[in-house]
Parts: sequence; C-alpha cells; structure tokens
Amino acid sequence: MELAYLAAGFGAGITTIGAAVGIGMIGKSAMEGSARQPEASGDIRTSMLISAAFIEGVALFGQVVCIVLALK
Amino acid sequence: MRQLLRFLYVLLIFTSGVAVVSNSAFGAEKDNDNQIDLIGKVVDKHYLDFKPLATIELPRLIYDNGRLHAYRSTTSLLNKSDVFTDARYVQAEPQMKDGKIKPASYQIVRLDGTKPQFDFSITAHLVFFWIAALLTFLIFLPLSKKYRQGIGRRSEPQGAFQNVFETLVVFIRDEIALQNIGSQKYLFFTPYLLTVFFFILFMNFFGLMPWGVSSTADITVTAVLALMTFGTTQLFATKDHWKHVFWFPGVPVPIKFILMPVELIGLFTKPFALCIRLFANMASGKILVMAILGIIFIFSNLFGPGVAYGTSWVWVLLTLFVYLIKALVSFIQAYVFTILSALFIGLAVAEHNEEHAH
Repeated sequence: MELAYLAAGFGAGITTIGAAVGIGMIGKSAMEGSARQPEASGDIRTSMLISAAFIEGVALFGQVVCIVLALK
Repeated sequence: MRQLLRFLYVLLIFTSGVAVVSNSAFGAEKDNDNQIDLIGKVVDKHYLDFKPLATIELPRLIYDNGRLHAYRSTTSLLNKSDVFTDARYVQAEPQMKDGKIKPASYQIVRLDGTKPQFDFSITAHLVFFWIAALLTFLIFLPLSKKYRQGIGRRSEPQGAFQNVFETLVVFIRDEIALQNIGSQKYLFFTPYLLTVFFFILFMNFFGLMPWGVSSTADITVTAVLALMTFGTTQLFATKDHWKHVFWFPGVPVPIKFILMPVELIGLFTKPFALCIRLFANMASGKILVMAILGIIFIFSNLFGPGVAYGTSWVWVLLTLFVYLIKALVSFIQAYVFTILSALFIGLAVAEHNEEHAH
C-alpha cells in the first residue's frame, strides 16, 4: 500500500519532468522563430499553445494514473 | 435543422446537471470547526458557503425504491424523513441545535447505513453551473438583438459593454474559428465555439470570486463539455474523415490495418484529454492555494504559533501570486478548450483532395 504512494509520487515527478522538457523545447523554438521572423509571431503563438496543450494532455494522463494509484 | 441542434445543445447543458449531482456522493463533507478540511474545500458541497455571513443549504432530491424524496434542505430532510438519516448518525447520537437535528456529514443514507439508489441533490457546483449558463444567456441574447437591429453592423458599437464583447467575439471568430475550420464552414460552428468559450470563462471566473465555486473543477462538467465537442465533431464529419479513420488513403494495405485501431482510439482520446485538461487545471489551482495556505498551519504545529505568524506574510503573498496565475489560467484554459474544439472540428469537416499526398 505504501509502495503505491511512493509509485504515485515518483510517477507524478517523472511526468512533470517530461512535460517540462517538452513545453520548454516548444517555448525555445517558438521564441527563436518569432525572433527571426517577428511578423509571424501571431501564428507561432497559436501553434505553440496548441502543441503545449497536447503535451500537457499526455502529462495529465500520467497524472491521472498517479492520482488513481494514490487514491486506491 | 439548425434550430433543432441549438435546442438540443441547450437541453444537454441543462440536463447535464444530473451528471453533476450524481458525483456529489463522493464528497466527504465535514462540519468540524476546529479542523480545516482541505478536501472539503475542493470537492462538491451540498450547501452554498457564505461564511461567516450565512450557509445556505441546497435542496435534496433522492430517488429510492421507486419514489422521489424531495426536501428543501438537508436539515429539513433530517428532521422530517423517517427513511433517511445522516451517514454519521447511523451509530452516533444526532447533534441538536435549536431543537433541530444538525447535518454532520451531509451524506444521506438509509436508516441501516446503506446508500440510497440515486442522489440527485442540487450541489454548489450545479448552482454555479446554472448561474454561468444564465449569465451567458443574459449577456449574449441582448447583444445579438442589438446586432440584429443593426447597431454595430451599420453603425459603431455602442457603449463599453458592446465594445468589450465585440473584441472577444471577433477574436474567436477570426483567430480561432476561421484559422482552424476554414473559410467555407467556420460561420456554422462559430456559435458553438462562442458559447463554449464564454460558458467556460464564466465558470472559471466564479472560482476566483469570494465564496464562489468554479464548476469546471468538477470532472462531470468538463466531461459533458468534451462530450459536446465530440458529438459536434462526429455529427458533422465528412466522408473523408471516416475514410481516414477506417481506411487510411495513400498507404500500403498492411499499414491501413495498423492505422485503423490507432485512429479509432484517437477519436476518443481527443475529447478525453480535453476533459481531463480543463478539470486538472482548475482543480489543481484550488488545491495549490489550499496547500500553500496550509504551510502556515504546518509551521504552527512544528515550530509554534510565533513562527507561523512571523512567516505568514510569505505564504499569503505566494497565494496572491498563485491567485493571479489562476486568473491567467482561467482565460488560457477557456481559450485552449475552444481552440482545440475548433481544431478537432476543423479536422473532421475538412474536405480533402484525393490528389494531394498524405
């Protein structure tokens, strides 16, 4: 039972790392893109938000599994 | 057809309340004044909390053994009903106040301690859900009437009210609907996207108000919203969409068989992610505020009340910061839900050219 809590904690941490790396990379590329081409920054922002939302979605799946583990 | 669909959407919005309230059975509500109930602040409640001014108990509707039991409040149920009682009074002696039995856990059970069949009671989330729906109606029906009369189309928009909402409406029409759905069909889906955006926005904002509750921190609400996007997507999907799901064009036949289950699962993960995303973002904001404020009490237990008083300004400032983030997240999540809905609808209704390569 305690191991399930431990697994939930580890899982939450690891999913957060994954999401942080993903969103960080998107932010980096979006900033580079809009610095190179400021007139396209509107489009870049939209696509950035969409990709970030998808990554967040995957991370949230992981978090849901962790919550289920912790509430078991 | 269009009128019928609009009517169906409205009906879905209001009947989804049933789904909202059935979730309330999981909420463990406590009325202990000495302890701070963190979970109780996050989950649904059977009363509107206006502490320290008042606590308004909401009506209880319980369906059991083929009969609907309806009571004005939990207190009146406990005092009048000879079938149900509070979960905590099955073993213990009821607490009394002014000669009336006081609700202890707000969880209603039969006299032998078993749960009734269905608990349709109205909850705080449902009340704020209705208020947000009403607000959306009350703001946008007069607004659309103004445009029908020509104010804003043939002349300038009048007043701050119309100007504020026109910017938002035009933003959603041009930046979300047009960009993601395409110039041929976007006007048909704009009303849905507008409704979803403002409805979610109002529900999120109620969570920022004092005594308010954000209904979007309830997974049943977000599930119904995601279900409506899913329904819209499938209802208006073109032949090409189904072809891409079941028999992906332009790839070798063995790959088609691999892609079929992948695409089928993809149909359902999209609305599922939509539902979980909104719920998790709004619920985690609530939990975060409670957790940071809870540090004061942890410090009080560990190092004594002096340290807790001395450092409390740090945690209050941090809470203020989280609160501002919550305000930002309320906007972003409404925007993300709308833009992803538009994206999924756009993918489903797009007419593909058979010639262009996949």
